Amino acid sequence: MALLECVQLSRNFGGLVAVDKVDLAVEAGEIVGLIGPNGSGKSTLVNLITGVVPVTGGRIRFEGHDITALPSWRIARLGIARTFQLLRLFKSLSVLENVTLPLQPRMASGQAASAFGRGRAAEEDRAAVAKGRELLAFFGLVEFAERPPTALSIGQQRLVELVRAIIVGPKLFVLDEPAAGLSPPNVERLIDLVRRMRDEQGITILLVEHVMKVVRELCDRIVVLDYGVKIADGDPQAVTNDPRVVEAYLGGGREQPHARG
Amino acid sequence: MLTPDYILQLLVDGIVTGSVYVLIAAGLTLIFGILGIVNFAQGEFYMLGGYFGITAAVLLRLQMLETLVVGTLAVAVVGLLCERVIFRPLQGQDMTNSIIASFGLAVALQNAALLVFGPEPKILRTSWATVPIHVGGLFLTLQRAIIPVVAAALILIIHLVLRYTWTGRSLRAMSQHPTMAQLCGVDVGRTGLVTFVLGAALAGTAGVLMSSVFLVQPGIGSMIVLKAFTVVILGGMGNIYGAVAAGLLLGVVEAFTSGFLNNMMRDIVGFAIVILVLLLRPQGIFGRSVERA
Amino acid sequence: MRRITPALLALAALALVPLASPSGYLLHMLIVVFLYVILAAGLDLVMGYCGQYSFAQGAFYGIGAYTAAILHRDLGLDFWQTLPLGVLSAGAFGLLLGIPSLRLSGHFLSITTIAFQTIIYLLLTQWTSFTGGQYGLPVPKVGTLSLFGHELFRIEKVREFYFLALAVMAVALLVAWRLATSRIGREWRAIHDDELVARAIGISVTRDKLVAFVASAALAGAAGVLVAYYLEGVSPTDFSIWTSATVVAMVIVGGRGTIFGPAAGAIVFTLMPEVLRATADYKLIIFGVLMIVMVIFMPMGAAGLLRRERS
Repeated sequence: MALLECVQLSRNFGGLVAVDKVDLAVEAGEIVGLIGPNGSGKSTLVNLITGVVPVTGGRIRFEGHDITALPSWRIARLGIARTFQLLRLFKSLSVLENVTLPLQPRMASGQAASAFGRGRAAEEDRAAVAKGRELLAFFGLVEFAERPPTALSIGQQRLVELVRAIIVGPKLFVLDEPAAGLSPPNVERLIDLVRRMRDEQGITILLVEHVMKVVRELCDRIVVLDYGVKIADGDPQAVTNDPRVVEAYLGGGREQPHARG
Repeated sequence: MLTPDYILQLLVDGIVTGSVYVLIAAGLTLIFGILGIVNFAQGEFYMLGGYFGITAAVLLRLQMLETLVVGTLAVAVVGLLCERVIFRPLQGQDMTNSIIASFGLAVALQNAALLVFGPEPKILRTSWATVPIHVGGLFLTLQRAIIPVVAAALILIIHLVLRYTWTGRSLRAMSQHPTMAQLCGVDVGRTGLVTFVLGAALAGTAGVLMSSVFLVQPGIGSMIVLKAFTVVILGGMGNIYGAVAAGLLLGVVEAFTSGFLNNMMRDIVGFAIVILVLLLRPQGIFGRSVERA
Repeated sequence: MRRITPALLALAALALVPLASPSGYLLHMLIVVFLYVILAAGLDLVMGYCGQYSFAQGAFYGIGAYTAAILHRDLGLDFWQTLPLGVLSAGAFGLLLGIPSLRLSGHFLSITTIAFQTIIYLLLTQWTSFTGGQYGLPVPKVGTLSLFGHELFRIEKVREFYFLALAVMAVALLVAWRLATSRIGREWRAIHDDELVARAIGISVTRDKLVAFVASAALAGAAGVLVAYYLEGVSPTDFSIWTSATVVAMVIVGGRGTIFGPAAGAIVFTLMPEVLRATADYKLIIFGVLMIVMVIFMPMGAAGLLRRERS
């Protein structure tokens, strides 16, 4: 049974079909890439899976459970984490507070207990801070722990977003264009980190990306969307040479998928 | 009690009150729709209209129509000053700041009126207030009867201006897309000023009209601005035609509530309706769809 | 931690004030300040931290006060019983107001809170048989606190009430501060910054918003019970939309989202009319003008100015 299964998934906005009966399966331990020209429905598909946008047709199953109608916070708690295309960190919180926030809903002790500093709550809070610092160190960002996110560069903020997403130990991590705006050394680091997330922490990855270098080096399998329809699904070599895929990219005067990314 | 005459009387009373609400709310919704400002001092413009009207009629011994014009113009001038000095600098900021500033303005204006005009309630004695109109079983004074007439005339003028003049088109453009409007050559500063002055003037007119119907005191603005907000919400924020419909509706509902239930519920009913509408249909009864939390 | 120490020092200094034999007038002013500090701190939780506009703080203040008065009149309860009950009843109404906040935001929410405030005010003024209408209701003095028949202390004079008010304010500030700096405070700030993402990472936005409303209303309720016993009566004029607007101004001008900023705002706005008292008739005009001026020149509030200077 696949970890994530989308069956005939569709999304209509009024008359516009953004996602058109897409079948997508992601097995546990895979790194799957989702590519396609601009406007192909990649972001909408991701929003459907993570519960941000309601589904208008088809079903989504995660670990065998139907999650089609669940709100985003329930899906988050079931073990699916995501990043956003535009940076969406909390400006009023420090970097450390940003990354430890997702742990709060999962803590056993109550809110009131935390407010009044009762034993178990204080312990959990301390453990969260420790874990946050550990992950920030892994990404080389621990010196910024107490600063607001706006004090960091875009590239660093993207990494903070990654930390925030994986601190809860999700089973499935959906990354929405993580390499956008990153300098080449940071792209290398990102590739390394994502691979280590899968290898060391057992997180399954669904990766939406334009930067082909990242897609080629990381992904076990690539899925291609065009105008909301899935037009290819297979290993990177086969997909990038698939004439339909080439046509989709070339057709509107867009970049070829095997060009330098 | 359930005679057709009684019901008709309530209806007519409701339309008269409703017309007052329409004028004040139209001003409020214009200011909000085009400038994005929530003007809590709108009630004070109404109050000042009452005082200026009385002053014009008594001191300058003007006739009814002249009083109406002079009183409205005086309030328009006050509105101009307020826009320039207070609300222009707050453009583009958090909306709450304009609410606070307009609260401050309301307090200042209320107490300035108290200082200048004194605390005793005043009323304008006009001949029109004593001229009765009997239509079948209905009873109305001329003074009250002209209120819906004036309101209708003003709304019609505004409608024509909005549709057929350059100023009107500028206003509509600004309410939909300020940046785009500016790019198309709309003088945003001047348009903003015109909007605010117009909004204030509408409330001022209502005040002059009512100065011979109800007592004028420094505090009359407080409750009526809340009623006007109710109308604006029911009609859809920024929607003048919605404000017209909602204003008349509120006036009539209040009249019937007071006629068949009791006076206490009269004031409350509007606010209760507003909460219900906000819960079920935040864009108002007549508004377009709006983003929710 | 750095901000606690000056606050503790200030509280200690305030506790010593009565020992310097001040005038009854000064004590009175300080008591009023304490009441508004509680109101402003409470409002900061829901408006400053959680970002939900509320113009209903005056209504919750009134609900606390009237609960005390009515419970005294109908059930003969004393201060020590009506205080927690007043807090609970205000909190319950806070929950009621919190529900529309789940679906509305921005100006729609503001207007809903204004409508709520007005309905409560109208009920207080019109429902004469229950609330005493315009004339209000009488409330006795706090009296004595006895435990097992032994009298612990008696609160009858202004001086004694001063300590009571100071103590309640200190507790209220502590509660507000603890909430703001704990998990829920962080969640509130996250919701304020980006509600969509907050929801996406698993925060229960619904529950947090409701808690914000309940907490701010409960604190206002506590202040309400206090004022009822202080003035030895309740009447609607103290709980109107003007009260709410003044508290909002305190939070904004003081600097929202800092607890102590709004507390400072409370001090400024409470003392301002008194400082202006010499100008008698012009007092409120100047008050209104100052409100306008502050909002134009200090949109981020005093705390915001300080933050900018530091960075």
